[in-house]
Amino acid sequence: MAIFMGNKVAVIVGTSTISSFVSTVSLNREVEAVTITAMNDTVQNMIGGIEVSSISMEIFNDFAAASVNSLFEDKIGEKLAIKLIPVTGTVTATNPSYSMSCLITQWTPISGSTDSAALASVTFPVTALTKATS
Amino acid sequence: MIPSTVRTNLKTALTAITGLRVMDYVPDSTNVPTNNAFAVIGQLSMNYDYTLNRGFDSATCNIIVMVGRMSEKDGQSRLDGLLSSSGSTSIKAAIEADKTLSGAVQTLRVVSASPGTITSASIDYLSYQYSVELIG
Repeated sequence: MAIFMGNKVAVIVGTSTISSFVSTVSLNREVEAVTITAMNDTVQNMIGGIEVSSISMEIFNDFAAASVNSLFEDKIGEKLAIKLIPVTGTVTATNPSYSMSCLITQWTPISGSTDSAALASVTFPVTALTKATS
Repeated sequence: MIPSTVRTNLKTALTAITGLRVMDYVPDSTNVPTNNAFAVIGQLSMNYDYTLNRGFDSATCNIIVMVGRMSEKDGQSRLDGLLSSSGSTSIKAAIEADKTLSGAVQTLRVVSASPGTITSASIDYLSYQYSVELIG
């Protein structure tokens, strides 16, 4: 696989593919940096702590039954399974999938402006993140 | 979004305005009757990949509306009615009456209308160019 465009990402929430409602998506893998600087250190010393990954998305809202609004609004305070595939299609070693459990900490059912489509910009904390190659 | 369907359905939406002659293609020549108006659905300017995985695209469509000769008071009055944001002669209201264009797009908005003139057969016609944003 070579450099690829980021416009074919598959975004699957539970069993629903919502890619056509998503304009941007990013999975941010991150661990906390735990300071272990001791008295005799001359520079700050750190080790990796626990993982604090998150997923960010910009989603065009739709109130149709079983569409994006109900998917997220009905699960506020609960966890949702979300799966991302870099390029829609078969999952392989060069096109791995990322499955995770996301706590729905926020949702924006109303986002009005005079000159743009209703858009929800959300960031959810991620747990149980797994990467698969098949 | 299928451009030909969008243009056809824009034409259908505009024909709700009494006396407005609408073409969903750019004509070779114009013949604007006195006290009447004439609209041409222009070409679509496409912006692909509005959402992921070939979900939706966005597009801008220009619609040119013209009325009688530049010196005619009736022509200017006619354009005022078309320019209004509401009412039975409003271009914006007619197009936005069904924001999906019978399912051809997800949504649309008539963004702007700019005045100008169009010269045809050495005659200057009053005109407005409307810009319509579409997502679908």
